[in-house]
Amino acid sequence: MSGAKASEKAPSTNWILQHPTYQQMKELNVGESEQIHAAFLVYMDLTEVRRWKEVSCVKSLDLQVVLLEAREKDGSPVHTVLPLPVHQSLCHQSIRQVLDRGFPMLLCAVASDSTLVYQRMTDGLVTPDPPVGPFEDAGRRQHRKRRHHR
Amino acid sequence: MEAPPCSQVEELQQEQEHGSSLVVGLSLCDSAPLLWRFQDLKTVRSNSLVGALLGSLPRTPRQNIRLGRPLLLMPEEERVLREHHGAAALSAWNQVRNRDAAGAAELRQRYEEEQQRSLEEQSILALEDRKLALLRAMTSSSGSESGAGSDEALQCRLLALEQNFSFPRSALAVQLSTARAGLSHCQEACAFLEADRPIREQDSPRRDARYQVFRDLWGRGFFLTSAGKFGGDFLVYPGDPLRFHAHFIAVCLTLDESICMLDVLSVARLGSNVKKTVLLCSPAPDGSVHYTSLQWSGMM
Repeated sequence: MSGAKASEKAPSTNWILQHPTYQQMKELNVGESEQIHAAFLVYMDLTEVRRWKEVSCVKSLDLQVVLLEAREKDGSPVHTVLPLPVHQSLCHQSIRQVLDRGFPMLLCAVASDSTLVYQRMTDGLVTPDPPVGPFEDAGRRQHRKRRHHR
Repeated sequence: MEAPPCSQVEELQQEQEHGSSLVVGLSLCDSAPLLWRFQDLKTVRSNSLVGALLGSLPRTPRQNIRLGRPLLLMPEEERVLREHHGAAALSAWNQVRNRDAAGAAELRQRYEEEQQRSLEEQSILALEDRKLALLRAMTSSSGSESGAGSDEALQCRLLALEQNFSFPRSALAVQLSTARAGLSHCQEACAFLEADRPIREQDSPRRDARYQVFRDLWGRGFFLTSAGKFGGDFLVYPGDPLRFHAHFIAVCLTLDESICMLDVLSVARLGSNVKKTVLLCSPAPDGSVHYTSLQWSGMM
C-alpha cells in the first residue's frame, strides 16, 4: 500500500534540467532557454543515437548561443554544430562567423516536436553531385506515353 | 529635331575578359530593356549573358517552348552592359526614321525588279515544260517510226509554240516571306513600343546585393538566368544553358538581413530534390562576395 502511495507522489522534476550536460550548457551563460534546450536535444541525438565521438559544448560570443563540437568517428574531422529552434531567424553574417571557426559546419533545426534536421554549410561554391546513371534516352517513349493518355 | 520618344542606346563594348569587341543596341520599352537585332542577341550570348526571349514565332505560334525576338534582359544584365563600358545615348531613332523614308522607295524598286526577274525565269521554264509535253505527245502518237517527215513536222510545231507562247503575269508564282523583315518595317509596332520616359525602379539594398552577386558570378564565367521556378534569385550554369544543367540556385541577401530558419530549410530541401546546391550569397564590405553552400546533410 505504501509502495503504491509512494508511486503516486508528485512527478519528479524534468530529467533534462538535471542532466549534467544541460547544466554545463546553462553555465556557459549564453543563449536563451529555448536555444539551450535545442542544443541539448542535438547533443543527445549525436551521442546516443548517432554515436558521434567527443561531443562537447562551447559558447559562441559572436552569436551568443551554445555550439557543439563533435567527430563522426574516431579520426574524423571535428564538426561545428549550430543548433537552432526552427522558428528563430538568423543572418548570413552569423553563419559566416561559425564558418570562420574553420571546421565543417552543420546547422541543425529543432522543431517544437523535437524533430531534428541537419544541413551542411560550406564556404564557397560546392558543385553538386552529378545525377547517377545509367541514363536512358527518353526519346520516343514520351510521345508514346502522351498518345496513350489521350 | 525633337528628342526621340523611345530611347535607343548604343553601347560600345570592348570587353577584354570576354573577348570580342562589339556594339549592342538597347531598346527600352517602359523600363524593360529589349534587344531586337539578331546580331545583338548573338553578341550578348557570346559574352555569357542569356536574357529571355519573349516574342512568338509566326510559324509556331501557340506554344511556349521556342520563342523569338525580342530578348528581354534582366536588370542586372542591362546594368552590367552599361557599367562595363559606359552608355552613349545616340538619337539612333532618327537615323532609323530617315532610313525608312528613303528606304521605302528603294525597297519597292527592288521588289519590282525581283518580280520581273522571277517572271522571266518562270516563263522560260514554262516554255520548256510545254515543249517537252509536245515532244512526248508527238513521239507517242507517231509510234516507233521515225523519218525526216515527222521530224520536220515536230520542228515546225516547236517553232510555232515558241513564237506564240506567252506567260501571263497572272500565272506568276509569288513567294511570300514569313521571316520577319525587322522592326523598321512595322510602323504600328514601333509606335506602340514608344515610351514617354523610361521608368526606373528605385535602388534598394536587396537589389544592390543581387547586382553585386550577379557581377561577381558573371565575372567568373558563369551563365546566370532568373530562378523564379526554384524560389531563388539566379540559376548558375557552368556554361551555356543549352548545354548544361544549372549547378547552383543563388539566393542573394545582405549579410545582416535576417532569414527565417523555415525558409532556409525549404530552399535547401528543394535544392537537394533538383540536384542543385543552394548558394547563400552576400556582398562583403570590401567588395568581394561571400558564398555559403547549403547542402542537405542526408543524415536520417
